[in-house]
Amino acid sequence: MKTSLRLSVLLRALLFPLATLLLLATPQHAHAQVVVIANNSVSANEISRYDLRDLFTGAASSVKGGTNVSPVLLKGGPTHEEFLNLYVGKSDAAFRAGWRSLLFSGQSTMPRTFDSDAEIVEYVARTHGAVGYISRSSSHTGVKTLVVK
Amino acid sequence: MIRSHILPVAGSLALATLLIGHPLQAQSMDDLNLQVHGYATQGFLYTNQNSWNGTDSEGGSAAWTEAVVNLSAQPQEKLRIGIQTRYFLLGDYGNQITLDWAQVDYRVNEHLGFRVGKVKSPLGLLNETQDIDPAHLWALLPQSVYPISSRNSLLSHFGGIVYGAVPLGESFGKLEYRGYGGQRILSSSDGFFQQLRDLGFTLPNGTTGPTLGATLTWHTPISGLKIGASEEYDHETGELVLAGMQGTIENGPFRAPFYYGQYEKKRLMIAGEYERLRLNSTSRFPNLPAFINQIDVRSFYAMSSYKLTRKFTAGAYYSYSMNMKAPVSSSRFQKDWAVSTRYDFNPYLYAKAEQHFIDGTAWGFNASDNPAMQPTARMTILKFGVSF
Repeated sequence: MKTSLRLSVLLRALLFPLATLLLLATPQHAHAQVVVIANNSVSANEISRYDLRDLFTGAASSVKGGTNVSPVLLKGGPTHEEFLNLYVGKSDAAFRAGWRSLLFSGQSTMPRTFDSDAEIVEYVARTHGAVGYISRSSSHTGVKTLVVK
Repeated sequence: MIRSHILPVAGSLALATLLIGHPLQAQSMDDLNLQVHGYATQGFLYTNQNSWNGTDSEGGSAAWTEAVVNLSAQPQEKLRIGIQTRYFLLGDYGNQITLDWAQVDYRVNEHLGFRVGKVKSPLGLLNETQDIDPAHLWALLPQSVYPISSRNSLLSHFGGIVYGAVPLGESFGKLEYRGYGGQRILSSSDGFFQQLRDLGFTLPNGTTGPTLGATLTWHTPISGLKIGASEEYDHETGELVLAGMQGTIENGPFRAPFYYGQYEKKRLMIAGEYERLRLNSTSRFPNLPAFINQIDVRSFYAMSSYKLTRKFTAGAYYSYSMNMKAPVSSSRFQKDWAVSTRYDFNPYLYAKAEQHFIDGTAWGFNASDNPAMQPTARMTILKFGVSF
């Protein structure tokens, strides 16, 4: 009886961290419906989640290859929420509060904000160094997509 | 008591509201990369006993108003210029329009940038943003480290900043550095001089002197976790007047270290900071021995907030401050428990409600305003803000 109890405790002790690790290892963005787009002047074809978060929180202004980039945002909606959830790790209010901190302390200007995917694509296509995000189902003619690693 | 000088700010609020309704919202001119932003807040204060920072808070006061206008442009990819002005009123403090900052910023790359002009001082966790009400849950930041009566003096300096970041790889995060230097001016109405004013002294031009400082922040590989340290060196002097007698005051030289950490993950934020301010403030008058006021203030706070819904955030902090060199009394320390809530009606309009349970009178309770000072007080704050 005591042996089976010990075995059960041991199994739980091993399985619980293993299950946790598996959950953490599961890529959250495996079925992401959001795609990151960039102006063709951006030399990189991929971007790390770490660099993407820094770029969209104002902590960085360039990507691998040295291209200076500027983020552009959607005003709101499910694509915006998914992008923040997957890659920034902040709620919309905290995200905007962060940008206000940078703006009013003189550390940055506000990123341009657009109402729709089409407007973002149009702006990114004609603006050197612009990086944005849209729904995977939206057309993104004239811009390149960045693979998020 | 609602003072007549609130009227111009009410006009600013109305203007801000009109701008919100405008389709451009924050006006951005594509060709010049010119942006206009701003915010305005109105606070209401009530203390059950003692009046706070020159307001008549014991009877309820609306004498807490701010309005900020920010103009910035990015004519070239690496160059930004900007200016920000502020109307500030808190009881006996402010009631004037001042220059927050006016600067030219040139960012060579991620690793190196320069900022010159009147620039915000990158000190501690929140110094650069302590005045930006829309960015915080709190109506009032922990007074032990960020006293509002000294805010305008400590917020910025005339001079420059060198800044940048050094990536340490995804396994080790990133190191962000900022070094700064120039001249700091403490205005004659700064809260730091309140005890002197209570004793009948005046400082016609405040104090000025060199300031140097540096901040290192390690953005750890744990997403949302950063820890850092700052140190500032100051040495300020000024003119001191008592009953027609001309004298001088000298603060320092002194160093003030800050240590801090913050963790942000989705809806949760946890932060803490420690500061030590140790200096001698020396007053000299002709034919009299110098009077040295020794100050050794050790302060810290711990705070946490959680976003309960998309529009509603709640949090609490504990703020502690003790002047180890002051005589034993309730004016040498302050312990403050604060419970705060914020509701965002939309991306531009918000309201805050905050309750403070204060033990000790070290910050905000002036002897001249409180002839029958009580050692404890409870303070209720309501605040409304608009930003665009």
